[in-house]
Amino acid sequence: MEEQKVESVKLWDSVPGYDFNEKIDVPEMHSYFHDGVHSVPRLTPSYSWFYGRYNPYGSQYACETLSIPRCKGWTQKIKDGSTYVAMHILRDEAEIEKRAAKFKEALVPWIQDFDGKWEGYKNELLTIYGRLKSVDLERATNIDLIHHLWDLISAYRRMWEIHFLGMYVSYSAISLLEGLVARFGLTVESPEFQNIIRGFDNKAFQVDKQLGGFSKAAIKSGLSDIFNNNKAEDVMSKLEESEAGKKWKKDFNEFLKEEGWRMVRMMDFNEPYWLEDPSAAISVIQNLVKKGVGYDLDEVRSKLVKEREQAIKELLKKVPDHEKEWFKALINLAGKASSYSEEHDLYCELYLHALVRRGLLGIGKRLVQAGTLDRPDDTLFLNPDEIEQVMLAPEFHKLQYIANRRRAQWEELKFKETPPVFTERAGFNEAVGMDLIPSEDVIILKLVVGEMPRVRPELKADIYGVCGAPGVAEGPARVIMTYEQLKEVKPGEILVCPGTNPAWTPIFGIVKGVVADRGGTLTHTAIVGREYGLPTIVNSFEGTTKIKTGMKIRVDATEGAIYFLDK
Amino acid sequence: MGSDKMIFWFEEIGKEHNDTVGKKCANLGVMSQMGLPVPPGFAISIDLYRRFIQETGAIEKISRHVENLGDLEGQGITGYENLSRTIQSIIEEREMPHGVQELIHSYYHGLCKKVEIDDVAVSVRSAGTESRPGMFETYLNVKGTMEVLDKVKKVWASAYTARAIAFRVNKDLPVIGDELGVAVPKMVNACSAGIGFTVNPITSDASKVIIESNWGLGEGVVSGVESVDRFIVEKETLKITERIVGRKINQVLNKKNGVAWEDVSPDKQCLPSLNDEEIKEIARLAMMIEERLGSPQDIEWAVDIDSSFPKNIFLLQTRPAKVVIKSPKSATDHIAGLMAKSFKTLR
Repeated sequence: MEEQKVESVKLWDSVPGYDFNEKIDVPEMHSYFHDGVHSVPRLTPSYSWFYGRYNPYGSQYACETLSIPRCKGWTQKIKDGSTYVAMHILRDEAEIEKRAAKFKEALVPWIQDFDGKWEGYKNELLTIYGRLKSVDLERATNIDLIHHLWDLISAYRRMWEIHFLGMYVSYSAISLLEGLVARFGLTVESPEFQNIIRGFDNKAFQVDKQLGGFSKAAIKSGLSDIFNNNKAEDVMSKLEESEAGKKWKKDFNEFLKEEGWRMVRMMDFNEPYWLEDPSAAISVIQNLVKKGVGYDLDEVRSKLVKEREQAIKELLKKVPDHEKEWFKALINLAGKASSYSEEHDLYCELYLHALVRRGLLGIGKRLVQAGTLDRPDDTLFLNPDEIEQVMLAPEFHKLQYIANRRRAQWEELKFKETPPVFTERAGFNEAVGMDLIPSEDVIILKLVVGEMPRVRPELKADIYGVCGAPGVAEGPARVIMTYEQLKEVKPGEILVCPGTNPAWTPIFGIVKGVVADRGGTLTHTAIVGREYGLPTIVNSFEGTTKIKTGMKIRVDATEGAIYFLDK
Repeated sequence: MGSDKMIFWFEEIGKEHNDTVGKKCANLGVMSQMGLPVPPGFAISIDLYRRFIQETGAIEKISRHVENLGDLEGQGITGYENLSRTIQSIIEEREMPHGVQELIHSYYHGLCKKVEIDDVAVSVRSAGTESRPGMFETYLNVKGTMEVLDKVKKVWASAYTARAIAFRVNKDLPVIGDELGVAVPKMVNACSAGIGFTVNPITSDASKVIIESNWGLGEGVVSGVESVDRFIVEKETLKITERIVGRKINQVLNKKNGVAWEDVSPDKQCLPSLNDEEIKEIARLAMMIEERLGSPQDIEWAVDIDSSFPKNIFLLQTRPAKVVIKSPKSATDHIAGLMAKSFKTLR
């Protein structure tokens, strides 16, 4: 009987209507591209439901609101926890002309005061989050809990609307600047160009700096041994053993109350947030204590600021006098792409995902009490429609058979490779040329899919990628697939990963260089690499498959080349 | 300085009189005290305007009218225009009190005696306490006491053009405001006139003086629509490093009363409107003002037909140069335009 039920549940119908159906979907949109930046490892069913519905909606909302000329955002389908996007490309030139005129108007307030606009949206989100946080999940009635779930869903929808507005504006600016500097012989991969768009502070770096402060305080209070000789998850309890430890812990808890609404994995609900499990933040501090330092990036950052000012000066020298004024304004706006890219993730995804996780676990706990589920995090393998059905009378239902099966399948598929594209075109390149590039969608082109590496046989490199941040680094590789493994990274290693998100930022203070499988010049990996002055290669495609932990490699990021040194 | 003094000769005015007579008058006074060639003339204080609106009861009537007004912002431009018409006529219809008339007449008469011309032609220029170029009225080539009195009233009333009211409302300033001083300098009988910048307003290059010039009165350059001559003088060497002679088709000339746009005769259209020694002298004067006032200046000058070099060059006005002529909005528009366009062309 139980087995029959399992048989009859479809695993990935967790997002009704959003499941990928190759026979129907491909002929309609011609090509669906894998979003390797955001769905490796594969998404849990609950996250697929949230992300699959509202991420593409957010892109469409922003494209409509801003009247993006050639694209109406993307549509998204889920295939076994991997997401695939297809672009809504406009091809009627008269319509594009009209949209361009409106786009111009929509941009004006953003160009005049980008920070002010973002500040307003940030406050809106924080107000929404404040309300969500005030719900006491333990004491809530079942009705309160289902209402809370709906509130989370509507917050999530709003979050993506705001997220993409800022993103389309700032990324369009940087992309325009890129186009304009070509006449001065610069490309997006030139160090002279990259210097212009780095050296910006943002909230994410400020939090990193605070972690550095806690490392310094730990060293000063004689707590180094506790950090050096214990596992991250044991540090907090060991600190209880001394007065200095208690004091440190108290301060740290205060900090977490403010800044701990931060997921360790950006695009899913399955890993904890700092406030829930401080060991992620603790392990960063452990690494800093091991190095015997606090936040040692102040120097790097002030150097980057100087380099930026110098680079801007050099560029402006080449700009004709009558164009200087708006060029300056454009450079300023393009710089926002770097700072906004990191900061918005903190206030958009990382923060709200922590709140959704909190809500789903709270609901899960109630469903466990009723016997509907076995584990609170079983809710990550249900979709809100299923929760809605049982929430007010859970004791009548059993959902374990759905959750367990989906969990088992998800565990099995998590890191399985998936095709880069489903298309009716002749191949990947033709699909990119016909169904991606014409959208001129700055986010998909620069971030999700990214620039394609140029293979240059004369370099005799073992892997080719795209320069995310210039420079050369040499050292042992450390292949990291999930945030959990980040604790294994040792100072001086070169991080090799599928991609990174802002939660990974602190690790950039420890490694010597970064190689990411996927991502373009405006992905987190590239932006943070630039901000930390680390040689960084993105879109190496086969980095994590060809490179093994411990291999000595040289990363010539400026050339986009990776060399194996142990041959 | 007695507060009862309501009209001043330019040479009696210093920087400290800004709030008494308005910025334009104060600048003329400062230039005149510096010994720079400023046309002779006098400045009517803001207090005299106040006396006028109080003694005639105009202020009460205006206040009452404004108090009964609804929300202006909702009414659009017609609301401002109606209000403007009402207030301006309240001011213009009032006859000047005898004492005020007498006072202005005595200075105008004094000026005529000074320059030894009966009914000397003057300009009647608005002078607010803050510089708002082009906001208020200026009347050129005004002759005779009656005309001067009439134009002074019109300048005062120009604080209530629809544009000026809208400006104040948008800045959250009271509708009743912008009390104006009035500058009354002798009209220069200009054969050519124009403007000078001691800094390049677009590139902010401060090593050169830029002069723009046209035949006739300065209004032929200031309006910015005509093709004019442009000369660039290197400050350090007073060398003329650039001269662009525009095809000057129109000019502003004095008529019997007032001024008018006229054609430039074909043989003069492509001739430079200044000779080299005049260009250098204007540059030198501009640099002198810049040095004495301590910041880049934007000057207006005129070359008098009736005098000979170097006494023929007069300075009519100076104000701090706005280094960026393009407002931030125009840079914004430009970028917005390019961003929008890039989607059309980058295909």
